Amino acid sequence: MWKKKKSQPVHETEYMGEDLIKLVDMVKVYDTGTIKVLGLHRVNLTIKRGEFVAIMGQSGSGKSTLMNVLGCLDRPTMGHYYLDGIDTANLEPDELSTVRNRKIGFVFQSFNLISRTSALKNVELPMTYAHVNQKAREQRAKELLERVGLGTRYEHMPNELSGGQRQRVAIARALANQPPLILADEPTGNLDTASSVEIMELFSQLHKEGATVVVVTHEEDIAAFTERIIRFRDGKLVSDTKNKPQIQTEEEAVTMQKEGSHAD
Amino acid sequence: MLLENMSMAIHAIKANKMRSLLTMLGIIIGIGAVISIVSIGDTMRFMVSDLYKNVGTNLAYVYVWPKDGGDMRSGDYFKLDEMERIKEAFKDEIVYMDSEANVAGEAIKGRNKIKYKFEGIDSNYPDVKKINIIYGRNISEADIKARKNNVVLEASGAKDLFGTENAIGKTFRTTINNVTSYYNVVGVYRLDLTPIEKMMQESNDTRSGYIPYSLLVWPDDNLFNIRFYAKEGTNMTTFSDKFTSYIARTKNREKEDITFSSTEDEMKSVDSVMGGLSAAVGGIAAISLLVGGIGIMNIMLVSVTERTREIGIRKALGAKTQDVLIQFLTESAILSAFGGILGIAVGAGLVYLGGAILGMHVVVKPSVILTAVSFSAFVGVFFGIYPASKAASADPIDALRYE
Repeated sequence: MWKKKKSQPVHETEYMGEDLIKLVDMVKVYDTGTIKVLGLHRVNLTIKRGEFVAIMGQSGSGKSTLMNVLGCLDRPTMGHYYLDGIDTANLEPDELSTVRNRKIGFVFQSFNLISRTSALKNVELPMTYAHVNQKAREQRAKELLERVGLGTRYEHMPNELSGGQRQRVAIARALANQPPLILADEPTGNLDTASSVEIMELFSQLHKEGATVVVVTHEEDIAAFTERIIRFRDGKLVSDTKNKPQIQTEEEAVTMQKEGSHAD
Repeated sequence: MLLENMSMAIHAIKANKMRSLLTMLGIIIGIGAVISIVSIGDTMRFMVSDLYKNVGTNLAYVYVWPKDGGDMRSGDYFKLDEMERIKEAFKDEIVYMDSEANVAGEAIKGRNKIKYKFEGIDSNYPDVKKINIIYGRNISEADIKARKNNVVLEASGAKDLFGTENAIGKTFRTTINNVTSYYNVVGVYRLDLTPIEKMMQESNDTRSGYIPYSLLVWPDDNLFNIRFYAKEGTNMTTFSDKFTSYIARTKNREKEDITFSSTEDEMKSVDSVMGGLSAAVGGIAAISLLVGGIGIMNIMLVSVTERTREIGIRKALGAKTQDVLIQFLTESAILSAFGGILGIAVGAGLVYLGGAILGMHVVVKPSVILTAVSFSAFVGVFFGIYPASKAASADPIDALRYE
């Protein structure tokens, strides 16, 4: 627990190569004690800086497992996962925490904001763990909330915000430490169509500003916003195609919302 | 980061006000009980030592008491002329000397009756104890020598018996040593009692007074003991040795057959008994602190389970094991420290309130407060370790999935 610090912290390695994510023969096996379950089988995948990627698949396809590995919440059983030049295979849990803190901005399906804690404090959280001082933290959190269109709701609690607004707070939080990777796991899963479109447009915007965004989803509509779609089935990568993103206008978004509500 | 942890902890405590208060209640009661009990004990000790100081710590009683349990001989008692010789022999050390003698009975004047308790004194008694004479005079040397039936009576007694406080020259009838005779009031004094003296007064309708100690002899004019006040600053330990040797020589007894007890010794032993008693009761009260600590552990465990998802989020966002551990430890420590502070307020408040009602000066020692606070903080940290380490060791994936 009170581990001695290494001479060079993992997140400070100088790596400016163009591959942000590189999976090499990555295998993930779950050991449930009695049986071993193969989660991912020999995945080779490279995502370059600045890409906007969708990872698709049905449940059980291994996309959640991949999400956990890409998010450094879990380590590969075999093979390698290089994130921003760091081989995560041999990192200790606390080192993985540091990597997550500096390299990854998470956006979750269920928002995962800390309840009874203001939007501002939620956005500050990753910076707190990065030991950014209070003043700088608050300043940056305010800028980020303004950027996602919540400039007037700093002090709102998560339960005082709509789903779309909560996800915006989560996105602002994901951007807090300026991580090279934005990793979104079903970010629109709990949102209505209009909010979904807004959130995906926000991701498109971030991508245009140079961010690398990886969205894990099972919805084609959502994947359609991205520029590259990678499909998984039974723990294997089955297709990897370029995609021309939809150009959404507000009118189309409204149409989509109507169709969505009809479908319900 | 410490400040950050504190504010997060206070935030979490505020978020569950009712639960936090109930959790703290254990600590509040525990600390409150320890502080009030120990403070009551300290107050009693202070009052007792005050009482002894009032009486004088250089007061001593000396008598013959055969160490082998054998019978008293007639020469073991003191005679009035012998008292004068002893006084003369120790005139440099002894300020005042008489024999400890009290008499209780009923004084009658016409239809009026009062219960009394008179103390036998020598004429220079005012040298060692203040008697607030309002009418007449004190017991005189002549009264002692001639064994006159003269009394210095308390003002309220005079009023009850004669209908006036100025009762100089009036007489009443009573029976002392099986002899009924008349006694003259030569002085009236006002009694100013301290609260503890009031408490220790046997009954409110008993009036006090002073009579010549020479009246209160045992059969054959014997006095059982010597009571004396040594001069201020006398070393009672060395003086005891000198005095005992003298008495042993004159009585033809062993030194061990002479009992010498001073208020200093008495005070020390009473003080140590009371100190031990208050520590023991305080220790019992401390058990409730332990129970309070277990309450904190229980609630922290519930809290950790409830907030599993929050822990998952924090870990996903970069919290290390240590960060989560410290967060929860801070929370339980603050919970317990808050409880401790409230407990001090309750405990000290009760003691001061009681003191104010009874009109007593109470003692709340800072050392007691300090001990109670550090103990409660220790309880918080100690009983927080298990829940906090449970939280800290949570796996982020499982924790995030927790509903």
